[in-house]
Amino acid sequence: MQIVARDDETFRRVGHYLLRTRQVLKRVGGDMSAGLDKLKHIVVLMMENRSFDHMLGALKKTDPRINGLTGNETNPDTNGNPVKVQPNAKFQGQLDHDPDHHFPGVDLQIFGTTDQGPGRVANMQGFIKSYATQNTSIEQSRGIMAYFAPEKLPVLTRLATEYATFNGWFSSIPGPTICNRAFAHYGTSFGNVDMNLFYVQDPIVSIYERMIQGGHTAKIYYYDQQSSTMEIVNLLKNQPQIFGSYSQFIADCEGDTLPEYCFIEPGYNDHPGPGGGQILASDQHPDHNVQEGERFIANTYNAIRTKQELWETTAMLIVYDEHGGTYDHVVPPNCDPNFPDGHSAPGDKTGTGAAFNFDRLGVRVPAILISPYIPRGTVIPGTEDPNGVIYEHSCIPGTVTNFFLKNYDNRTAREKNSKNFLMPLTDTLRPDDDCWVFDL
Amino acid sequence: MIAGFLTCEANMLKRRYKLVQKVPKTPKSAYNHGRFISSLIEHQIKHFHEVEKSLAKPGEPVTDISKIKTELEASKYLQKMTARLHPQGGEKPKRIAKPTKARAATKRKPKAKKKQGKQKRK
Repeated sequence: MQIVARDDETFRRVGHYLLRTRQVLKRVGGDMSAGLDKLKHIVVLMMENRSFDHMLGALKKTDPRINGLTGNETNPDTNGNPVKVQPNAKFQGQLDHDPDHHFPGVDLQIFGTTDQGPGRVANMQGFIKSYATQNTSIEQSRGIMAYFAPEKLPVLTRLATEYATFNGWFSSIPGPTICNRAFAHYGTSFGNVDMNLFYVQDPIVSIYERMIQGGHTAKIYYYDQQSSTMEIVNLLKNQPQIFGSYSQFIADCEGDTLPEYCFIEPGYNDHPGPGGGQILASDQHPDHNVQEGERFIANTYNAIRTKQELWETTAMLIVYDEHGGTYDHVVPPNCDPNFPDGHSAPGDKTGTGAAFNFDRLGVRVPAILISPYIPRGTVIPGTEDPNGVIYEHSCIPGTVTNFFLKNYDNRTAREKNSKNFLMPLTDTLRPDDDCWVFDL
Repeated sequence: MIAGFLTCEANMLKRRYKLVQKVPKTPKSAYNHGRFISSLIEHQIKHFHEVEKSLAKPGEPVTDISKIKTELEASKYLQKMTARLHPQGGEKPKRIAKPTKARAATKRKPKAKKKQGKQKRK
C-alpha cells in the first residue's frame, strides 16, 4: 500500500489508519483486548437491501480511508451513455420499481453482461442495465446510481464515523435476501441461491440452538407479529422459545435480561398499530422509507447506549443482508477455495444456466460495529488494502460461536475460517461523555 | 411508528448526555399499507403458507394466499400465523421502556443531588 501524505491532516489520518490496521491485524491473530474481556452481549441488527456506496459511499470525501465514491464512477445506461453516481438518493419513491437482486440480476450487475462464457471479468458495470429490466424508464433506470449525502442519513453517518466501519463486508451470495440471511443464522444457505424456503441439513444447527445447547442464551427478535420473522419460519415453528418481539428486546435491555447473543429483525411492512396508530416498515427495503429505518437503528442503539452497564458490555453490529440492486463500485472477491461452503447450485437453480459453487461473494453492504471500546473513526480496510480483511455473513455465527462456545465443530469450513468481526474492540473504554445518543 | 422508547425522554437525554443528536421524524405521508407487496414479502407469505399447510389437519382449509396483494393484507396473514406459532409474541412486555411513575421517582433523586452525581462521574 502506498499512501502519499499531502498535508498534516492527511498525515495524521494515515498514521492513525496504519496504527489501527496493525492493531486490527494483531487481533486477528487472537489477542484479547479489555473490550473483549468485558464483552457479555453481541447484538446484530440486519437491515435490508442497500449497498455500501448507496448508504456510506459519500463519506470518502470527508474521510479518504473509507472506500467509498470519488463521484466519478459510472455505469452505461441502455443507450451506452456513461452515467455518473449522484448524491441524490431519496428516502422513498426513487426505487418504487424494486431493483432486481435475484441471482441472474446480480450476475448482470457484477459482470455487465448476461454472457456466461469463460474469460468474462467482473466490472460492476451492469447496474443500470439490470434496473432497466424492471419496467423502468431510461431516466428511472439511471436512478440506481444515486447515493445518499451524509447529512441525509444522520444516524448511520454518525455511527459509521463514531465507531468502526468495515470497508470490506460483502453479502454472502450474489443473490437475494433469504439465502443471504441464512448465512447469518446457519453459516450457510444449504445450497440455496434464491428466495425459496430452505431446509436445514444435519449436522448444522442455527447459532441460536448452538448457544442454547452450549448453556448460553440467544434470541431472535422480530418487530411484531404483523411483520414477523423473515427467513427462518421453520425455526419459528419448531423452536418458538428462541423468538421474541422488538418490544421484548426493549424490555430485556431495560430489565438487564438481554441474552448473550441476539439478532434483531426490522419491520417488513406498513400496518396499523395498536390503538389506531400507524407502524411503518423500518427495514429500508425499497421502496420503504429510509428515514424510518434510521429511526429504528437509532432506537435500537439508544436502548443499549442508555443503560450504562449494558453499554459497556455489548457490541452491536449493524449490517445489511444484501445490496438490493443498488450500485457499489467494489468487485466482490472470490471465496477462499481452501475453506469451501461445500454446496453447489446447478444452473437451473441459479437462473443463469451456469452452476454456482459458492466461490464468490455478493455485492458489498454497509457494516458498522458499535462499542464504547472502539476508538472514534475506526475504519477496517477491505479489498482496497493488501492487508485488508474480507467479511461476509458467515462471520456472524462464526464470531459468535468462537466467542461464546470456543471449539465447535459442526459447521462449514467457510464459517470456521470466517473472520472475527469483534477485532476492532480495544483496551480503552471511551468516556461516557464521548459517546452520542439520539433524540427521537 | 417505532415504539416510543425515548421520544418522551428527550429532555432527560439532553440533561443526562453531552452528545445528543436529533433524528428527524418520518413524514406521515410515508405510510401506505395499500402498497403492493414486494417479492420479499410475497416469499415470506409463501414460507408461512408452507407451515400452515404442514399444520393443517386432513380436510382443514388453508388460506388462499393468492388473494394477498397489499402490505395490510400480508400483515394480517402474518399476524394470524405468527400468533399461532408464537403466541407469546403478542404479549405486552413485562417492563415497558418508557418512564413509569416508579422509574420517574427513582430518576428524580439524582436530579436533587445533581452536583454530587456529576462529581462522581468525573
